[in-house]
Amino acid sequence: MQTMVEARNLRKTYKRADGSTIEAVKGVDLDILQGEIFSLLGPNGAGKTTTISMISGLVAPTEGDAEIGGYSITRQPMEAKRLMGFVPQEIALYPELSARQNLSFFGRMYGLGGKSLSRRVDELLEFVDLADRQSDRIDTFSGGMKRRVNLAAGLLNSPPLIYMDEPTVGIDPQSRRRILDTVKMLRDEQDMTVLYTTHLMEEAQELSNRVGIMDHGEIIAMGTQAELTQQVGEEDRLEIMTGAQNVGEALIGSMQQEIAGVTRVLFNPPEQIGDNGSESTPARLTVFAKRGRTALPQIIQTLDAAGIDIQSVEVREPDLEAVFLALTGRALRD
Amino acid sequence: MRSILTIILNDLKIYSSQRGNLVGLLVIPVLLTVVIGWSLGRIGGGGPTRLRVDLIDLDGSDMSAQLIEELRAANDALVLCPPDNDADDYCRLEDEPLDMDRAIERARSGRTSALIAIPAGYAAALNDFQTVTIDYYSRSDPMQPGPVLQSLNAVLQRTSSASMTKGVSSALLDNLTNAVTLPALDGETRDSFLNTIYHRALQLSTYQPPAVLFRVVDANEDESGIDNGFNQSAPGMGSLYVMFTVLGGMAVLLRERRQWTLQRLMALPLSRAQILGAKIGVYFTLGMIQFFIVFAVGAAFGMDFGSSPPALLATMAAFVLCITALTFALAPWIKSEGQANGLVLLLSLSLAPLGGAWWPLEIVPEFMQTIGHLSPVAWAMDAFQDLIWYDGGFTEVIPEIAVLMAAAAVLFIIGIRSFKYD
Ligand SMILES: Nc1ncnc2c1ncn2[C@@H]1O[C@H](COP(=O)(O)OP(=O)(O)OP(=O)(O)O)[C@@H](O)[C@H]1O
Ligand SMILES: [Mg+2]
Repeated sequence: MQTMVEARNLRKTYKRADGSTIEAVKGVDLDILQGEIFSLLGPNGAGKTTTISMISGLVAPTEGDAEIGGYSITRQPMEAKRLMGFVPQEIALYPELSARQNLSFFGRMYGLGGKSLSRRVDELLEFVDLADRQSDRIDTFSGGMKRRVNLAAGLLNSPPLIYMDEPTVGIDPQSRRRILDTVKMLRDEQDMTVLYTTHLMEEAQELSNRVGIMDHGEIIAMGTQAELTQQVGEEDRLEIMTGAQNVGEALIGSMQQEIAGVTRVLFNPPEQIGDNGSESTPARLTVFAKRGRTALPQIIQTLDAAGIDIQSVEVREPDLEAVFLALTGRALRD
Repeated sequence: MRSILTIILNDLKIYSSQRGNLVGLLVIPVLLTVVIGWSLGRIGGGGPTRLRVDLIDLDGSDMSAQLIEELRAANDALVLCPPDNDADDYCRLEDEPLDMDRAIERARSGRTSALIAIPAGYAAALNDFQTVTIDYYSRSDPMQPGPVLQSLNAVLQRTSSASMTKGVSSALLDNLTNAVTLPALDGETRDSFLNTIYHRALQLSTYQPPAVLFRVVDANEDESGIDNGFNQSAPGMGSLYVMFTVLGGMAVLLRERRQWTLQRLMALPLSRAQILGAKIGVYFTLGMIQFFIVFAVGAAFGMDFGSSPPALLATMAAFVLCITALTFALAPWIKSEGQANGLVLLLSLSLAPLGGAWWPLEIVPEFMQTIGHLSPVAWAMDAFQDLIWYDGGFTEVIPEIAVLMAAAAVLFIIGIRSFKYD
């Protein structure tokens, strides 16, 4: 299959106001194939937006380059940009203008005009199901509606490639469902190549042909979902929510040694979250085990004996979350 | 080029969709221009109809009383203080005696238009045909005599020619009595004869048209030429509001970055020059629109536009370009919209008065005029003055335009170099 995006050794170092520097992206290699949905999955601050900004020509890489359909984004930006659509993480629309005015303006910037412009705008308004609200100002729209116009604006030039940076952030489940279906439709019905970023494992899992897992400015694993889950082996993952007690090193050690099938145990103590530390995440014990269901009774017994209060237990087949956990020792959603 | 125009039109559409912007662009500048133009016309156009003049008569003679009477008759706008003070204390004497020192201080501070002091021995000197000096204190330029000095000059001219006639007659009388051997005149007869001659001469010269003419002009009747307050207020308010409007672009650029519409533009197949050119074009256009609005108000009130519209347009364009460049030079250093708005106020409200947008720079001390020329407004106002007040053409304003364009070039280089694409 043809390669649509080929990034080599992309690096971006930002200067902060206080003079210090931050390496937001540390040498990323990326190949996105024609006609696939490729997801960049990573927690907040992983460097997803910075990576997308570099391969869309928004931000100049400190080092490295990317080719879009064979055109270098740094040396032939015009040709490269003509091949791509861009749906930024922010709602990049003029709030004072209507949905139609926004789309018409950006369409004109792609060189569309007259009948072909208004036909394309009609099509897209229909596509994102906002034809009836087209004359309303963007600042009167709900979050989900704004997201849909934002997406439509990235499709104006009918590009073969589209970047979508967390297009479902901050919207209700129905709107999210709609956008996910739209993304699949773009690939399946219009043969588009999609680069999709998210910090939600479920989205990456549902959409992607291939996934790149990103953390701290690096792609730490890349491949199809099957390839990735293979990396953590055939192990099941048991998520055990516990009470406030601390699960000590000794207990973890004895579980790993004494319970058949258990390979690894991780403990995440409760964490204060929210603005004023008003909420806290529950403490979580993650146990990796071959044939997890068989090992479960003995695990519960051991914890019980140690006086650990068990609130819930979940057995998970290998998934992307497990891969991230196995590679970083942290949960994706933290 | 087409995309640049599309961006400019789109930005102008957005600008005008915000009601607050229209108030800032249209309503406030129009109101202020009208109010200030009208007020300046009242002050500078004609002047008040009554002039406060201190008068100190150290002679206290019939002759000096006569001079005072003449002065009154010569110009009924003069209110001689204290003799002509009214019940409202127009003289602002506050029931204090007026001595020489106080009167000089009043004239110096501009509380009175002038001080006229008749010295002791005035009558005696006139009688003996000797030179007598009348002291005249005033802040106004002696090379451009105001109404008080003109009146005084007229009266003194008559007085001295009458006195001269009397002197000539006296000599004639002496010669006659000697030559024709007329009986010698006794002193009293002689004095009475000469005084009759003096008064007759004074009377005759009074009915002669005076050598110097003056009149008090009512501002409301005079709307033409230098006297129209809009000739100052329209360019001044225009410059001020061009700064408000164009410098306001700093906040808009910041907002476009925050709302990511600038980034979306940058992800389009457009060159950086196109994007930057369009954004510069937007603020240049807004600045020119602002000037046209304020000048339209001036035109409605009979403002003079000089005789060289191309030179006027070039001056406007150079000033707007300079302020646009300043906007782009400052924008990269601004962190928040609040900061931007504060800076707009600070810059506009300091550069405008400093550069003579509110009052003509001629009336401020010389060092302030020098400092004032750090403000681009001063150069623009100089050029407007050359064109509007003195009817100059292109050649007269080339230096000012050159200074504005040079400043614009330097600021644009700074702005374009530090413009953040990331
Ligand atoms: N313009 C900038 N100047 C300085 N630091 C920046 C800039 N943009 C991003 N960073 C830093 O680079 C790192 C990566 O940021 P980036 O926005 O790429 O992450 P992300 O994966 O998109 O996160 P999120 O899920 O929150 O959108 C972060 O630490 C961020 O603070
Ligand atoms: Mg991001």
